Amino acid sequence: MKETITNYIIEHITKQKVSGISEDEDLLGSGLVDSLGMMKLIAFIEKEYNLSIPSKDMTVENFMTIEQILNYIESIK
Amino acid sequence: MNNSNKTRLPLTQSQLSLWAGQRIYSEVPLHNVVYTFEIQGDIDVVIFKRSFEQLVEETDILRMTFSEIAGEPFQEINSTVPFQFECLDFTEKSQEEIDQWVRVNTRSPINLAEIVFDSRLLKCDESKFIWFLKIHHLVTDAVTYQLLFHRLSDIYQARLNNNDSKNVLYAYRSYLEYEREQVAEQELNSNREYWDKKTSEVNSRPALYGEKWSKNSTEAKRIEIALTPTQTEKLNNLCQKTAVRSWTKSATLYNLFVTVFATYLHRISGLSKFNIGSPAHNRSTLDFSKTAGLFIEVLPLTIEIDDDETFISLLDKIKLEGNSFLKNVHPSMVGCLNGEPPSNILNFINVEFKDFNGWPTQVRWVHNGHIDASHDIRCHVYDFKGESNYTVAFDINTSVCPQKDYDKVALHFNSILDSLLENLENAIDKKGLDPISQSTFLSGTHTPITDSFLKKFEEFAAKTPNKVAVQSSEQTLTYANLNKKANQLARYLAERGLENQSRVAVFLHRSPDYLISILAIMKLGGVFVPIASDQPVERVQYILRKADCSLIITEEKLSVGLDFEKENIVRTSHFSELENQNEFSSSGHEVENLCYIIFTSGSTGKPKGVGISNKSLNNYLNWARTAYSIDQNSVFPLFTSIGFDLTLTSVFLPLLCGGRIIVYQENPSGPDTSVLNVFSDNLVNKIKLTPSHLDLVKEHDFNPSILETMILGGEDLKTTSVSKIQSQFSEKIEIFNEYGPTEATVGCIVSKYDAKEHKGVSVPIGLPIDNTQLLLLDTHKNLVPQGVVGEIYLSGTCLANGYINDQELTNEKFLENPFSNQSKIYRTGDLGRLNSKGELEYHGRIDSQIKLRGYRIELNDIEANLSEFEGIDSCAVMLVDNKDQKTEEEVFNCTNCGLPSNYPSTDFDKNGVCHLCKAFENYEEKVHQYFKRDEELVRLLTSKRDINPNYDCISLLSGGKDSTYVLARLAGMGLRVLAFTMDNGYISEQAKENIDRIVKRLGVDHVYGKTPHMNAIFVDSLQRHHNVCNGCFKTIYTLSTKIAVEKQIPFIVTGLSRGQFFETRLTEELFWDQQLDSEKIDNTILEARKLYHQENDAVKELLDVSMFDSDEVFDQVQFVDFYRFSDVSLEEMLVYLKKHVGWKRPTDTGRSTNCLINQVGIYVHKKDLGYSNYSFPYSWDVRLGHKTRDESLEEINEVIDETEVKKIMNEIGYNPSAQQENDKKLVAYFTGAEGLSIEKLRKFMNQRVPSYMVPTLFHFVAEMPLTNNGKIDRAKLSENKIKPIPTDCPYVASSNEIEELVQKIWMDVLLLDRIGIKEDFISLGGHSLAAIRVTARINEEIETNFPLNKIFEYPTIESYSKYIEETLIELMNKN
Repeated sequence: MKETITNYIIEHITKQKVSGISEDEDLLGSGLVDSLGMMKLIAFIEKEYNLSIPSKDMTVENFMTIEQILNYIESIK
Repeated sequence: MNNSNKTRLPLTQSQLSLWAGQRIYSEVPLHNVVYTFEIQGDIDVVIFKRSFEQLVEETDILRMTFSEIAGEPFQEINSTVPFQFECLDFTEKSQEEIDQWVRVNTRSPINLAEIVFDSRLLKCDESKFIWFLKIHHLVTDAVTYQLLFHRLSDIYQARLNNNDSKNVLYAYRSYLEYEREQVAEQELNSNREYWDKKTSEVNSRPALYGEKWSKNSTEAKRIEIALTPTQTEKLNNLCQKTAVRSWTKSATLYNLFVTVFATYLHRISGLSKFNIGSPAHNRSTLDFSKTAGLFIEVLPLTIEIDDDETFISLLDKIKLEGNSFLKNVHPSMVGCLNGEPPSNILNFINVEFKDFNGWPTQVRWVHNGHIDASHDIRCHVYDFKGESNYTVAFDINTSVCPQKDYDKVALHFNSILDSLLENLENAIDKKGLDPISQSTFLSGTHTPITDSFLKKFEEFAAKTPNKVAVQSSEQTLTYANLNKKANQLARYLAERGLENQSRVAVFLHRSPDYLISILAIMKLGGVFVPIASDQPVERVQYILRKADCSLIITEEKLSVGLDFEKENIVRTSHFSELENQNEFSSSGHEVENLCYIIFTSGSTGKPKGVGISNKSLNNYLNWARTAYSIDQNSVFPLFTSIGFDLTLTSVFLPLLCGGRIIVYQENPSGPDTSVLNVFSDNLVNKIKLTPSHLDLVKEHDFNPSILETMILGGEDLKTTSVSKIQSQFSEKIEIFNEYGPTEATVGCIVSKYDAKEHKGVSVPIGLPIDNTQLLLLDTHKNLVPQGVVGEIYLSGTCLANGYINDQELTNEKFLENPFSNQSKIYRTGDLGRLNSKGELEYHGRIDSQIKLRGYRIELNDIEANLSEFEGIDSCAVMLVDNKDQKTEEEVFNCTNCGLPSNYPSTDFDKNGVCHLCKAFENYEEKVHQYFKRDEELVRLLTSKRDINPNYDCISLLSGGKDSTYVLARLAGMGLRVLAFTMDNGYISEQAKENIDRIVKRLGVDHVYGKTPHMNAIFVDSLQRHHNVCNGCFKTIYTLSTKIAVEKQIPFIVTGLSRGQFFETRLTEELFWDQQLDSEKIDNTILEARKLYHQENDAVKELLDVSMFDSDEVFDQVQFVDFYRFSDVSLEEMLVYLKKHVGWKRPTDTGRSTNCLINQVGIYVHKKDLGYSNYSFPYSWDVRLGHKTRDESLEEINEVIDETEVKKIMNEIGYNPSAQQENDKKLVAYFTGAEGLSIEKLRKFMNQRVPSYMVPTLFHFVAEMPLTNNGKIDRAKLSENKIKPIPTDCPYVASSNEIEELVQKIWMDVLLLDRIGIKEDFISLGGHSLAAIRVTARINEEIETNFPLNKIFEYPTIESYSKYIEETLIELMNKN
């Protein structure tokens, strides 16, 4: 899962040329992902893992790093 | 030019929308995007020039051109462009000259077929240059400028240092290809749907400052404001808060600015649901973020504002909406917007410009002076330096906003921003938009009140004693006479103990006595309480009590039944006996003292008494005297209700000025039509009336007329109502529109109608009269800006002292003036708007503002637009809630048969017996003759034994008591029966057990019928007939007929009750013939059955009905109704079933039925029509003696299990929500020209108002019901008692006797008030039963024998009449 998400970010939404993203990299803070990118990522996660992420959960806290994203997905699965 | 190998590329969706706009406004620099970069450095011009050339060489968008072939636009990427970069020496030029150059060059057209850009370097001095770059929007957006600027800076730097610069921008061409692929991408279907819905469902347009302009211009003005350091600091702090924070800071800022902008649009337009256009940047990948070109697409963001919205609650909604927006944006989506695009844009520009080669650079985005014609306003927010210094710029379409309002836009936006920054918990409308100092208070002239009415009247009595003061059909009184009689009465009343400020009810017809009475009361310093003669006793009684009346002056007839101390009733008959004492000295006229109390209807249903002082009355009269040019020659009619304060004008104004009153007494019985007499008599030159009165005399010929002045009041005055009247007078008449609630004394805001100025739908109500102030406030009591609708509050001398004996209500409506000490303001409940000319417009009652599907709608607004349609005289639009049907308590049942009173077109006599029962008495005998006996049945069913060796008949068995009894009896008669049961999926388990047990016990063969389409048939039946039984029955007939045909069984026996015969087969008309002819009736029924199977419904569509193609089947298989032959009461039947069959009443349906879905039908029927579908057939069962009234009502009133009903609805796929959506709908009632096309009317409305404001139903009514006060009676309309007349087809009246006859019969049978001769029978709701009735009646009238189906062959009155005529002629010729 981690790989899928990381690859998706690198291939489809990063604004910078990166070869990898560390698990604790602040995606939004670092400018790797902007708000449009984040919503694309959420749409991707919902589709890929057949989830529906409630609006109230769409917070920086849940989606700041890949690690947090993985934890969040785990928590609602 | 070496431009070989060019490829023509199609435009992107976003480019296409720009192209379309540019095509329409080809002369306008609509999409010229210009930035200037003021660079503080000594630029090497040659290197700069080379650098720019390199930029053009390496950036494809700068080498693109656009053309069109056969209407198809395309773009091409060229290898070179015809362009020479120049540096212009502006060192000698002033700043103004430079600005002017930029302005001119910004607006000069771009020839897209040649080149898409223009660029220069302007040398201002040795170390200051301005780089001017203009690019057509087709290939650029803000990010593109950022990219090009930084790229040029890079190239320049590299060239300066003789280096190579590698960071070339990516080619736009890749994006063009990518976008193209996306257009057809299947995976994006859901996103497309999302966007399509956005604009198709939300299509309202916030009108800036309420002004609805018919604009067609692209001219725009830009207003810029820079946020103050305090605002910026607060904003930055706010972005840190968890409750506010979004994904990134720019997303957070975006949400905050949308919140402010949405609030702004809401507050200056009054709209609560609308779209804001928002650009999506679409540079979602690394490559795209480094590509110059047009990426952005403007997509809608839906804003829905609730009551009591706060900034934080709105921000929360916007956050969610913003997330769904981002989730669904994708290149090409803009092509999915099929509805109207948003009329505004919030453009949060997230770009920053750094220095140019290390030199400080000032970036300016230059406005081209234009805006898309479809845009009213755009709000841009940017921070080009990236230092958190935000600039907010507004582009305002000058054709929708007057110039004087430009600065207001910034001011109001800022005031909202400040309120948000102060506290997010603030209600979005807590603070006023204008600073108090700049708000407009509208005040009438401050004028001393010079004359008191009574004094002036008495002066005229002395000065012109012999002049006629009042005349009626019975008497004429001079000023002296009138005064004398008033004096005599005053003296008498004083003797009866009337004191200063005592209250006296005056309950009279309009008459000179009324004038004598109120004058007498006034002379005593008493308070008169006028009560119109048509008021019911209870209301009079209530007023007497509520106003503490010590006396009542009334007429002999009116006093009947009045519960009041005899000695306190003064009858006018007594007036003539009064002492011949002429003199009386008036007293007690302190200005603050009450003069009269008028009761107006209150929202609670109880009338409220408004107490008006001498001062207020005299203020109005003094003002009105001058304004309306009243003098000794003025003659007013007194023809409106005395209980209506509008009438006081007609009573007091003439007497104040020595003029005359002509009294038109109301008709003692029946409606008051005095207005017609007033106009036909042509005796008055001044008149006070309501707009509805005016509509009544629209057709009146005013030539000749002595009328000089019309004063209209009491209702919204439509321009169409007055323009026609005025034109008849060749504009030699003065028409005033007077506004004023009773609480502000007759009229306090007035305008004079001006045909040249007043082109709007309604005539404005104008400006306050003397000593009156007007305030327009919002819900937080802030003054609203000019142009915005607010509630009208009034203040000044006009105000009432309050409500009589109702301090609570007085406190609620008469408030402390928040803007001035020690004065009161009266809250009118009316909405008003100050238009751009400074006149007040009336915008309806605040409580006529309704909310429908999230939209706040002013019904008044819809009416105003509707009345503009040519041919409409008057109209009323209402929100009708279908649920608001009569409550069950209001319904009563026929004392004989139990038919409910809400069954359509039912009449009851004194004893509560319905018209059906009454009529039945006349043909009951014949009905009984029509029924037969058991023996006949056996004879009939065995008559074709030779055809089928196995079965005599099919018996339809539902498992209920009636059909079980049929089967048992048939078996008992020794008949060979095949039982047929329709398994509709909802037969209860116990009922099935019953069926299985019974057929076994009776030893008959049994088959079940089934269809996979049952649910669809149920749904169709619910939609078509509001019940399930119709669909089920038809399925049973169809399937059983099929079996009968296959098995060659000659008869099918039904278990229809006798009551059901009258529901489905028999009508009263069939029994009209002198002698009963059963065979004729049966033939008619058979014809009707043939038609029944031709009706287009789900059964015909889904089942195999091929056997009905030929009429043969009706000979082959005959339907026999068992109960035609068997006369059995319910009690007998149950006894029989218990004894012989072992039938048990199923308990698992919770009701008396054996079918679980049955109650869904009853539920829907009751909900849609208000009564059970069994009401009618059961009433016949009772009438025919098969049930008692109690048995019938007990079954009808069985409790329905709503949960179960909803569950079943869900199962069969009946979607009541689609119906419920229709529960609340806008219904327009109108009067006007004959034959208006509803279709055209609907189209007209669609062009004028947003779709959510277009009424669902348009009802033409012959006459608008009016209240006693001459206003449209909305209560009566909403009770649905006014039957609409269909007008889909232009109305054509009958032109000969035959047509007249047929028309009358149709109207009677179809229960319609009006039918044109070209209207179609079916579309009028005609069905086979109605056809029987119509045919029977026609045959009866002209003694012929037309077959039933002719009505379908000749479906209009015209064609049928022609057929009759031809047939008759043929007959005559034969004879």
